[in-house]
Amino acid sequence: MSGKKLEPFTIVSVIGVSFAMLACAIPFWMIISGSLTSESELATTGYSLFPAAFDLTAYKMIFTGPAVLNAYFASVFITVVGTALSLAVTSGLSWVIARRLPGISRPLTVFSYLPMLFSGGLVPLYLLVTQYLKLQNSYFSVILPLLVMPFLVFVQVSAFRQLPESIFESAKIDGAGELRIFFTIAIPLSKPILAVVGLFYAVHYWNDWFMALLFIDDVHKFPLPLVLQNLISNISFTQMLPQLAEAATPVYQLRLALTTVAIGPILLAYPFAQRYFVKGITLGATKG
Amino acid sequence: MSTLQTRPEPQTRPPSGPPDRRRVRRKAVRTNWTIGLLALPAVAFFLVFSYLPMSGLVVAFKEFDVSLGIFGSPWNGLENFSYFLESGDAARILFNTLFLNILFLVATLAAGMVLAIMLNEIRSTFFKRVSQSVVFFPYFVSPVVISIILQVLLAGASGGGGAVNDALGGLGFPSVDWYTEPGPWPWILTVVKIWQLGGYLSVIFLAAITGIPEEVYEAGMIDGASRAQMAWRITLPLLKPTAAVLLVLGVGRIFYGDFGTIYAIVGDNGTLFDSTDVIDTYVFRALRQLGDFGTTAAIGLFQSVVGFVLVVIAVLIQRKYSKETSIL
Repeated sequence: MSGKKLEPFTIVSVIGVSFAMLACAIPFWMIISGSLTSESELATTGYSLFPAAFDLTAYKMIFTGPAVLNAYFASVFITVVGTALSLAVTSGLSWVIARRLPGISRPLTVFSYLPMLFSGGLVPLYLLVTQYLKLQNSYFSVILPLLVMPFLVFVQVSAFRQLPESIFESAKIDGAGELRIFFTIAIPLSKPILAVVGLFYAVHYWNDWFMALLFIDDVHKFPLPLVLQNLISNISFTQMLPQLAEAATPVYQLRLALTTVAIGPILLAYPFAQRYFVKGITLGATKG
Repeated sequence: MSTLQTRPEPQTRPPSGPPDRRRVRRKAVRTNWTIGLLALPAVAFFLVFSYLPMSGLVVAFKEFDVSLGIFGSPWNGLENFSYFLESGDAARILFNTLFLNILFLVATLAAGMVLAIMLNEIRSTFFKRVSQSVVFFPYFVSPVVISIILQVLLAGASGGGGAVNDALGGLGFPSVDWYTEPGPWPWILTVVKIWQLGGYLSVIFLAAITGIPEEVYEAGMIDGASRAQMAWRITLPLLKPTAAVLLVLGVGRIFYGDFGTIYAIVGDNGTLFDSTDVIDTYVFRALRQLGDFGTTAAIGLFQSVVGFVLVVIAVLIQRKYSKETSIL
């Protein structure tokens, strides 16, 4: 990739990439800027690139009332517990597949990937969770259906297979059982890939609203995305936020502030986590 | 050293037919069963959440009654299927599902590829890294957030104005009341999908570009090719296998509408259904608003079967096309 003079195609590329960057960044900027703009200003212009009338009313409302804090708690609970469970279940499964044990690994692979090809669909899942497991309005109704993502099993299997086989051989000679090899050797050696897989799960749980939409009716248990969704479809969401009943509620500003609050954690963690994400999809995509 | 280690092998595995191999396998299962404990939670998960619901598909052939349960409800043959087919919605929904998904698939793949090639041209590693991070970010944002962003752009936070209409006004065009106009929505949703997935796909394509050997480009350079010619004649053709894999995977999923994004954006806005209602959103509404389990399960079964056939065809084609990157 050398060559000294700047070719037209390179210039076009720099312009193209810059344009794509702006297209990806400006919408978020507009949301954040709008969330800091006073309601009256928003009502006339609809959006703002720079807060003309700086105002924090919506954020004060969010962090003083219990409603949004409840939603935050719900989202954090679902994300933390869900990610921990998913990681444990996924690594166990991936390890057994990765070990290439005769008579075990292959059937297990087929068994795990078949649901990717054929699924019962929405209705049986709905009936299962609501009628048989009776998980309605429990946070576990969001966590359990999303517990294992086959794509991440791919990623973890191929990462486990990159560990040097000789370590496990010598551990075996020293008398270590399979479980011991997994917990004391494989897992500590796989911390980076666990971070990758865990981050993907965490984002997945944090953003999920479909399961919540299906299974959670109790407004006090809504996770953040579902509260947002309700603010979109129903501006006077008075049931959830009693203070909205007051005349001077900044509804539009509140919506943007809540959006900011919902993407905040991802935005903050992203600069540190980004390279792990790139590593993860590269591993998953180039799997042999 | 290595000869010492490999010597015992012929003794443990004598050259003989399948019965012996089976015995070895059985012995392996017996000695390795503890490892099976590690997979047990996952197996339980798949049994309960994937295989059990498959049996629940019999609801499609029943007149479902909550009090009687799935297996106690009376059978009604193919009535659920004919109800859907005769409702008049079927043709529109099937068309929308196929049309929108093909549009999304082709557009996002093309955008991802172009973006990756452009990113590859950038020499400053700092700028490359930053721009890659920024374009990848929308992938991590909830569809609900995307919906709000779109509202601000198209209608303004307050339902009056909106950045797009202001821009149109600046260029001398009349403003459009986007949320009551079904016509442009397939294209709006396509732009949303490109925005959401373009960066993600560019990361995959960029990884593939990194795998292209340097000598190919050096040879091109010696022959006097420009950067644009090299992108067009070398990079693009060599990205074809990666694109083929992604395309095939996408084709397999074409029957599963993109529920998350479409429902978050369109919601229950009936005026837009003409051009945006897909199988998944239809099923969800039927389930939520009408509580019609039989018909929705029938549509779900239809969707699963056609989807399955598409996936199998796709995998077979892909296997033929490139063996190493096969998914199964």
